[in-house]
Amino acid sequence: MSTTMQLLRTDWFGLLVAFLLGAIMLGVAQPSFLSTYNIYVILTAFALSVLVALSQMVIVAIGQLNLSVGAIGGLAAITFAGAMDLWNVPIPVAILIGLMVGVAGGALNGVVTHVTGLNAFVVTLATLSIFKGTNIGITEAQPFYDIPEAVKTFGNARFGFFPYLLFVSGAILVAVWVFMRRAVLGRQLLAVGGNRNAAELSGISIGRVVVAAHVLSGTLAAVAGMLAVARLQLGQPTIGDDWLIISFAAPVIGGAVLAGGHVSVGGTLLGVAIIMLINNALVLLNVNPYAVQLLLGALILAAVALSRFRDPA
Amino acid sequence: MSMKVVDGRAGPRGPTLALLASSEAGLLLITVGFVILFSYLTPGFSSPFNTYALTRVLAIDVVIGFSMMVVLVTGGLNLAVGAIGVCAVMVGGWAMEVAGLPILVAVVLALASGAALGALNGILTVAMRVHSFVVTLATMSLFFGAMIVMTKAQAFNALPAAFVSLAKLKTYFFASSMLYISIGIGVLLWWLFHHTLIGRQILAAGANTSAARLSGVPVERTIVVCHALSGALAAFAGLMLTARNGAALPSMAGQLGMDWLLPAFLAPVLGGTLLTGGTLSVAGTFLGAAMVTVLSNGLLQLELGEFWVQAFLGIILLVAVALDRLRAHLMAKRRI
Amino acid sequence: MTEKLVITGASKAFPGVQALDDVSLALAPGCIHALLGENGAGKSTLIKIITGVHRPDAGTVLLDGEPVQFASPREAIARGISAVHQERNLIPRFSVGENIVLENLPRRRGLVDYGEVRETARRFMAPLGLEIDPDTPVRNLSVARMQLVEIAKALSLDARLLVLDEPTASITPYETETLFRLLRELRDKGVAILFVSHKLDEVFELCDSVTVLRDGRNACASRPLEGLDRADVVRLMIGREEQTARRTERTATGEPVLALRNVGTELGHRNVDLEVRAGEIVGLYGLVGAGRTELAKAIIGAAKVTSGEVQVDGKAVTIDSVATALSRHRIGYVSEDRKHEGLILMHSVRRNVAVTVWGRIARALGWLPNRAERDAVTPYIDRLQVRTPSLAQPVSLLSGGNQQKVSVAKWIAAEVRVLIIDEPTVGIDIQTKVYLHELIHELAAAGTAVILISSDMPEMISLADRIAVMSEFEVVGEIDNDHDATRMGEAIMARIHKVEGAT
Repeated sequence: MSTTMQLLRTDWFGLLVAFLLGAIMLGVAQPSFLSTYNIYVILTAFALSVLVALSQMVIVAIGQLNLSVGAIGGLAAITFAGAMDLWNVPIPVAILIGLMVGVAGGALNGVVTHVTGLNAFVVTLATLSIFKGTNIGITEAQPFYDIPEAVKTFGNARFGFFPYLLFVSGAILVAVWVFMRRAVLGRQLLAVGGNRNAAELSGISIGRVVVAAHVLSGTLAAVAGMLAVARLQLGQPTIGDDWLIISFAAPVIGGAVLAGGHVSVGGTLLGVAIIMLINNALVLLNVNPYAVQLLLGALILAAVALSRFRDPA
Repeated sequence: MSMKVVDGRAGPRGPTLALLASSEAGLLLITVGFVILFSYLTPGFSSPFNTYALTRVLAIDVVIGFSMMVVLVTGGLNLAVGAIGVCAVMVGGWAMEVAGLPILVAVVLALASGAALGALNGILTVAMRVHSFVVTLATMSLFFGAMIVMTKAQAFNALPAAFVSLAKLKTYFFASSMLYISIGIGVLLWWLFHHTLIGRQILAAGANTSAARLSGVPVERTIVVCHALSGALAAFAGLMLTARNGAALPSMAGQLGMDWLLPAFLAPVLGGTLLTGGTLSVAGTFLGAAMVTVLSNGLLQLELGEFWVQAFLGIILLVAVALDRLRAHLMAKRRI
Repeated sequence: MTEKLVITGASKAFPGVQALDDVSLALAPGCIHALLGENGAGKSTLIKIITGVHRPDAGTVLLDGEPVQFASPREAIARGISAVHQERNLIPRFSVGENIVLENLPRRRGLVDYGEVRETARRFMAPLGLEIDPDTPVRNLSVARMQLVEIAKALSLDARLLVLDEPTASITPYETETLFRLLRELRDKGVAILFVSHKLDEVFELCDSVTVLRDGRNACASRPLEGLDRADVVRLMIGREEQTARRTERTATGEPVLALRNVGTELGHRNVDLEVRAGEIVGLYGLVGAGRTELAKAIIGAAKVTSGEVQVDGKAVTIDSVATALSRHRIGYVSEDRKHEGLILMHSVRRNVAVTVWGRIARALGWLPNRAERDAVTPYIDRLQVRTPSLAQPVSLLSGGNQQKVSVAKWIAAEVRVLIIDEPTVGIDIQTKVYLHELIHELAAAGTAVILISSDMPEMISLADRIAVMSEFEVVGEIDNDHDATRMGEAIMARIHKVEGAT
């Protein structure tokens, strides 16, 4: 097989070409696209969305899905903000509390799914309501405004076009990439997603893997929620409400198989990048920003159709 | 357990026992229990006004539940029920307000567009050979986005008075007239699924796709039919909601129409329709919706934490599905 | 010397079936022990108890003289038990190497060491003659190679107790020889091996002792194979002499009802020629993975025919769906996989039989009254003597034999002219088996054209008029059946062998 063919068969190559072409075209059509500030804006949004996408991706890896990604992120966000606003907790402790919410939420999803053997869809639909309902119950739909300056500063800080938020996301991205490729637990996740029976007969503990995946998903969602607080400068109860589509869109565009067993961190990254590019293009070209919903839907369908075409099995 | 839903007749243990063991009977008992409890705790609950308001909400939630149920039976699901409902309603609103078409024509147009969008879901699911989850996730975003772009997020406020008054009719026992319409739809669905060729084919294809296909059942057609039906029912629910609101609102089902998802799943799942497909219970879906409506209405009437209702419904869904699982497990053990 | 494994009085029930009833087995180190029994006799259940997949309802398992109760396969592996199961148990997207060492992924500094993965994998692939790049994804392999990967995977655990469930089902005689040499070496090193196979020749060639199961019970427990001959073993397996069904006299007449001319399919068949006439039974024989079931699916329109011609009554036709095959050409297919493809388990007996006739009995507006359905299926339930408390009984609660009768009944109800029957007697009791054999004769005598797919050589030889031998998705030969078991068996194997040897 020639090198070109091999590249074409990877999850990321076509996406990279598409992204670069899109970026070049947009840069030519609208030079302000390449302004430092605009790139900063895109990267900030990217830093959040990529965590949301990874949070869903690790669940897709085991062949399940998680509707409660946004609800966990939102709940972590408001407990993080609320702890600092109401109780004046030091920032590291507040971060810890936010992470614990993510871990606990994910653990609940994982344990219930595994113990009852129920479809993760219905379990996470229920926990979505529980987490979102708890969020609304605690906040009564009002934001927490009193966030420490340090958090706000961090949310706004940048090196030129590079937002500080991206340090966090970038580090996590690399860690997840290594985890899925080289860590034993990461391989076990994919083994369970690829053939659950075979994984079990190979001595892999299904329960442990399922719970671990959900805990990881919850934790990633929680980090995304807390970064959103830093960026918005307040603990908004609606954080996470609009994560659902992008959380699936990016991994699917990135070549993930929804039946489980195959995900691509690089593909997911590029999936998020392409979505961010489209979003930005619509803003810069003065198109109705709601058109992004339309395009996202079309993009998911196209990605699925393409993967069918590439891999008909 | 599955027998009553599957075959529409009593199990081997005789009709009485089967009835007691069914989820419908359990739901009925629980719902009646809650009605009595709430009537006792707060006088507002059983007031004519509240009864009317409650049955009106119930009428709509039942149809939303049906809309999901008819896709669950194929073993699929439809995340786009809310988005389709809103899209269809905006078509209807435009037809009445802008195009000035007669109400009946506008209603038919709305239902047809709902069915068409649903059919599109079905066709895409079949053509791409993927689970309807990912297709309807995509179309939820696609339909809703297209609707907002086209309507510029503007509502149709000046609907004909005759259309709006449809929702205001009260009948015996202060029940909304819409409830009878929902019951009528339920009866039609029951007949469709248990006494027609396509209904049997749908159940067979939903229970075991390969076996049905290898027995000559046109599996693809059943999937498209179910999604089209789901779209039409979503449109119907949307029209009922529009009549109640007095306007066709792009925001009536929330962001991407996702506010409908919880009621859409709660009713059939509580009512014993399996997510794996192949069985359904029309009466169960009705009772599931009734229980949810009574519970949320009662909690609001009691004025205890209106903000906590959603969390509460989530817990109920979780407990209900877990209990159902446990019951299936125990039944399987007893058969040995 | 203590026995490696002693099972005493093991019982296990599943909803609707007592899979094992008071079964015992003792296995010594340095011994290859055959576990035999017909399909459905309980071999797989027993294996799953040994490997920690199932827990017995009663009975004890002693490993090295010590009672064990595994909660999961993980624990069994930890105690030195490894197995090749009958189902495919590989992760399709993982590499050959990673699949082989999945139980013990080698790691360095906390991460998987893929260099080591490749090396270890090669070490266990080489003795099996498996010369492929360990980085190849498993899903790109042929069935035979996957089977070899599974064996390498089991060997990689250096187990002291090795369980092999039909390890030779899809590999060539040459590969089988290599495997047997390897197994003997392991035996000489003191490994205890439990060997399950349908091929009695292999058992006699390889094994030292034998346990036979019949209907979930011991027909014999751990006796030396020496002194037993083939007929003895068969008698133990089926409870009496091999019995042939009553044959109905018939002669095939006329032109072929169904004919394949040089057919190729999207599933990989090439140049397939096959014809079957009214009143004739044509057998399709081959190893697992030879493409027989797939050919059946292409004939009935569940897979695409990409070249050549399918003729019905001498006219070329295109069958694009099972619905077309059923309604226009009256061709039916009884699936080998009753649970997943044959029956709708959660639905009633009535619905399961009626599914093929719904289109015919529906009235205006698609109205389909229950009474019409009942009237349509009752004669066939009676004719096939399906034992069910009522027509409303869910099929899942019937016994295996009665389930199979329902699966066949729907095609008889459909009054098909061509019936393809795939492994009709797998996993069912002897009486039903004999009954089904007689039924197949009767159907043919009444003018149905029958294509029989079976891996059961005696069944094939007793039923078929002609036997088409398939290998690697081609028909490699056709033999007129003279019903002489030995001669036919040799003729069939010679044809499979020739092709396998050539590649």
